Amino acid sequence: MSRVQVDRERCVASGVCESLAPDVFEIDDDGVLQVHREEPTADELDGVRDAVQSCPARALALAE
Amino acid sequence: MSVNTPVDPSQFDIEAIDLSDRDFWAEPPAVRHAVFDKLRSERPFAFFDEPTMEGMEPGPGYWAVTRLADLDAISSQPAVFCSGQGAVSIQDIPADLSEFYGSMISMDDPRHARIRRIVAKTFTPRMLEQVVDSVVGIVDDVLAEARAKAEAGDGSLDVVADIAAPIPLRIICDMMGVPEEDRLLVLNASNTILSGGDPELTDEADPLTALLEAGMAMAELMGRLAAERIENPTDDLTTALVNSEVDGEKLTHQEIASFFILLLVAGNETTRTAIAQGLLALSENPEQRAAWMADPSMDKSAVEEIVRYVSPVTWMRRTATQDGEVNGHSFTEGDKFLLFYNAANRDPEAFENPHALDLSRGPNNHVGFGGHGPHFCLGAHLARRELAVTFRRLFEICPDLEITGEPARLRSSFVNGLKRLPARLTGQR
Repeated sequence: MSRVQVDRERCVASGVCESLAPDVFEIDDDGVLQVHREEPTADELDGVRDAVQSCPARALALAE
Repeated sequence: MSVNTPVDPSQFDIEAIDLSDRDFWAEPPAVRHAVFDKLRSERPFAFFDEPTMEGMEPGPGYWAVTRLADLDAISSQPAVFCSGQGAVSIQDIPADLSEFYGSMISMDDPRHARIRRIVAKTFTPRMLEQVVDSVVGIVDDVLAEARAKAEAGDGSLDVVADIAAPIPLRIICDMMGVPEEDRLLVLNASNTILSGGDPELTDEADPLTALLEAGMAMAELMGRLAAERIENPTDDLTTALVNSEVDGEKLTHQEIASFFILLLVAGNETTRTAIAQGLLALSENPEQRAAWMADPSMDKSAVEEIVRYVSPVTWMRRTATQDGEVNGHSFTEGDKFLLFYNAANRDPEAFENPHALDLSRGPNNHVGFGGHGPHFCLGAHLARRELAVTFRRLFEICPDLEITGEPARLRSSFVNGLKRLPARLTGQR
């Protein structure tokens, strides 16, 4: 099972992940990233991988 | 010779290149790109003395970073290469002044992150979905007004004043809650703040006074709006700024003012530059323009390519907090680095045929919104949306737009702006 990891020190809430995997990531009203599903479904994995790659702050990882 | 005819980089003497020379920034784009090609291939960390400033001791100089891999390595190590000693000025200016005009751009984490979170939500794709209708409405209004103005006369218009400037100005002012009657002030002040010393936009004899006056005018406007929002909160960004707390404390008046200036200036100048320079690039590449016009599925890749090709913001500065080495280049604490996004975005190691406009380019890992790191452009999602809507609606409402003359370029090292771009509507659709 793959698991999303967020480095809170690095995250600047750019929202790039939210644009690529909107069911998994959301920036909340306080500008804090919420991960709706830490273990994404098979359908969501491509988007999550894309988000990990694209994060401008390099704050995301996927432990496979 | 067209200004875009490629210039052979080998004709330049590398020892004679001086990026601190204001006249260099008045050279045609092809000359500047050739000089950056020369630096990138022969001296990717090139050292320059700082531009001189009246009444200031000259600083130690800076390294010009021109390769994308080096730029990204520096950008993604914010603890080693900080922004807090100034990110938008080559010279070390007093910290309070630097923060006033740079706000969180000239801060480091954790404070940068805390300030950024106040507005982060507003600029996420999910929230911007809600403003997409208003973006379309504003773009359509501006284009209809431009069309009516041109048709009332001889068909001519100025792309910058009539299209590229009003679109981002109205959008960011709506988001901030700046009333109609104050928007000209915002436009003029933000022009002055980012004039880069262009003599047309600022007092060349005394640019510092002009800069301070523009900042004061924006701060005064912010004070007025803030007082209104404390009485009557709305859902705009100014309300979010006056009500937010960082580390349990409300932002000071000065912090709010500088944040307000940053959002307005950055929201205006960058997108305006991308629209105006983008339209110019399309007119120079008519086959690309025709392909994009006919195929809305190209909007996404075309917008990225315009941002890469134009690189609206030319550089940001970082300062080394310790001794070290980056990609084989040794540096010592206090060394300044200018990250040249325009040069990295034309790096042949990162882009095939980098000087060509290729609207279907992919992958396109440009640094037009900044490299990896905490300072990645806050407004990137908004800018992409504004640009996609603007060009698509332009193709529909003004398909007969034709550039008729040379642009007046801003003489600035910092923003790749245009002051004017003459055009006309031919009436032939």
